[in-house]
Amino acid sequence: MKLRKKVLFSSVAVLALLALAITAFAAAPIGFDDKEIRIGQWGPQTGPAAAWGNVARGSKLLFDVVNEEGGIHGRKIKYFIRDDMYNPAQTVAVVKELVERQGVFAFVGGVGAACGMAVKNYLAANKIIWVGPSAAYNDFVFPVNPYLFAVYPLYKDEASILTKYIVEKLKTKKIGMLYQNDGYGKDGLSGVKERLATYKMSLVAEIPVEPTEKDLASQILKLKNSGAETVVMYVNPTAAVISLRTSATIGFKPQWVSSNTLSDYGLMYKITGGLWEGVITGAFAEIVDSKHPLMVKYREAAKRLTPEERWGVFYYAGILFADPLVEALRRVGRNLSTEATLKALNSIKDYQSIGPKITWTEKIHQGTDSVQIHKCGPGASSIMLQDWTANDLATWKK
Amino acid sequence: MPIGQLLVEGLAIGACYGLFATAVVIIYKTSEVVNFAQGEMAMFSSFVAFHILSVYHYPFWLAFIMTMIFSILLGVLIEFLFLRPAKHPSILGMIVITLGAEMFLMGLASWKWGAEQQHFALPLDQRVTYEPVSGMVINNWTIAVLVVATVVMLLLYVFFKYTKLGVAMRATQQNKLAAKIMGINTGRIFSFAWGLSSLIGATAGMFFASRAALDPVFMMEPFLRAFAAAVLGGLMSIPGVIIGGGLMGLIENFFGYYWPHWKPIVAFIVIILVLCLRPSGLFARHYVKKV
Repeated sequence: MKLRKKVLFSSVAVLALLALAITAFAAAPIGFDDKEIRIGQWGPQTGPAAAWGNVARGSKLLFDVVNEEGGIHGRKIKYFIRDDMYNPAQTVAVVKELVERQGVFAFVGGVGAACGMAVKNYLAANKIIWVGPSAAYNDFVFPVNPYLFAVYPLYKDEASILTKYIVEKLKTKKIGMLYQNDGYGKDGLSGVKERLATYKMSLVAEIPVEPTEKDLASQILKLKNSGAETVVMYVNPTAAVISLRTSATIGFKPQWVSSNTLSDYGLMYKITGGLWEGVITGAFAEIVDSKHPLMVKYREAAKRLTPEERWGVFYYAGILFADPLVEALRRVGRNLSTEATLKALNSIKDYQSIGPKITWTEKIHQGTDSVQIHKCGPGASSIMLQDWTANDLATWKK
Repeated sequence: MPIGQLLVEGLAIGACYGLFATAVVIIYKTSEVVNFAQGEMAMFSSFVAFHILSVYHYPFWLAFIMTMIFSILLGVLIEFLFLRPAKHPSILGMIVITLGAEMFLMGLASWKWGAEQQHFALPLDQRVTYEPVSGMVINNWTIAVLVVATVVMLLLYVFFKYTKLGVAMRATQQNKLAAKIMGINTGRIFSFAWGLSSLIGATAGMFFASRAALDPVFMMEPFLRAFAAAVLGGLMSIPGVIIGGGLMGLIENFFGYYWPHWKPIVAFIVIILVLCLRPSGLFARHYVKKV
């Protein structure tokens, strides 16, 4: 009888504790409380793509500045960076940890199309907002995902704008293309071809490269023999270095034009030993030494708060990708909720920070089709060739 | 079709593959172990050269000599610390240990020098070119890699064929126990093989780095190709792997000129075909071990 009483008492106690715990969890607002809003980002801090890890650290600078200025309606931003090593399986693990254990309200940035695709549906299923993926990928935004808002201009749009510049401003007749044999390169190729078709022109050579190839001699020889005066390249930084070095060794000197992924002139100039000078690229953000008031503000903040970081384009891209979420949270006010934030994000129209104007509606979550065009000058300096330009051929807007 | 230029480019990159493949073969000749850390050992040594050049600003040749010494020590150390402590390891076990060493070196390099690409240049201006025959441009890098690969191949051929140490290394590979009974210090042989292999690998690594960019993963792809070249030439033959590398470079470049989509895999298809007909590779004699 004594034992039965003990068991009964213990069971009641356990049940009561469980009930309390459940009530406590149910009452806790997910992702924020009166004092903080929890925001996360995954990014490769180690591993093969760690060079892009500065995107996540750039977002941290923005949140630190926001917190210094008093936060958003009395709430400070608590920011979590997790290293996924550019490995989609690892992305899933770190995102689940942030959602289920840390209770983040939203994600910003996130390097890598494959990494993003690995968690896209999970985030939507858990009603977690994701702003500014650090990759231009059609499947992120078409069809529209109610929780995902893209800032990064699509490669196809950028390639189309660059090609228009090549034909109309550089007056080039013979254009060749070197493209990475994946979604990134093929989107670029598609944009170039679409634009050239409007001039009744076609590429004199279109040559694929695999991302890991270390010898591009035959490809560069083919470009040289095609008579290409301008070569558009949608490749990774190492392939770009090999292309320029190989061209120099065989006396091939075209005008190189490239995507924004190679717009970190500080890095590209250094690793090509100065061969990057003269290369024209698209750009999704202002030039590195821009006089734009926000660029000045963040550059000064970076000197003060993170002097160890190089002020390069992918570092401040972290600011660009995260900034619209901060703007939406400001518009929401004190009564924060996922629904209210989604409403605020969907109402963002022609909002501009250090990149192109961003517009989102309930039906379109690709924020922009505009890029600037820059040129690498002496000593890795940036020269602005063309200000924000939209792609008049972009069909997704209609 | 620029035949002359494709020939030059194919032979140059092929010599680079061949040079690196000899590093793989030296370890294989001694212990029958394929060293999967070979690429990362070369990467690490190249980073050391980069560090000496960019931080201490020493002249290139001094940095080169210091790097060569470092690379020998690195090879010896990896053998001593990673492989020697293994008790009665199987070949597969040893290969797995080399995979561990690969990860360790990659992590160490990422931690020390970061993951951003770095510029690494040999004191050979690639923009200085010569045109001995019309349509056949040769630059300093190409000349250097061809000369170095040829010299290394000749020296190693003589070493393995005619020197006591070389013969002892071959004996150790064929029967470690018998070699021990004959008075060969097999422990020292392994250390020497790893040191020599690391030295040649580091030389090849610097050639690759000066053609592309230096980062902790830059030798992964060249290692695969060099390994394939070694298999093509025959894993036991030094001239065979250099010729295998050359063939690989030529096949890739000629084929890649017409069908760029197929360039990365064409050499591997050829290798599969060759191995179907000659399982030991083109230049190695097949031998059977009694069990």
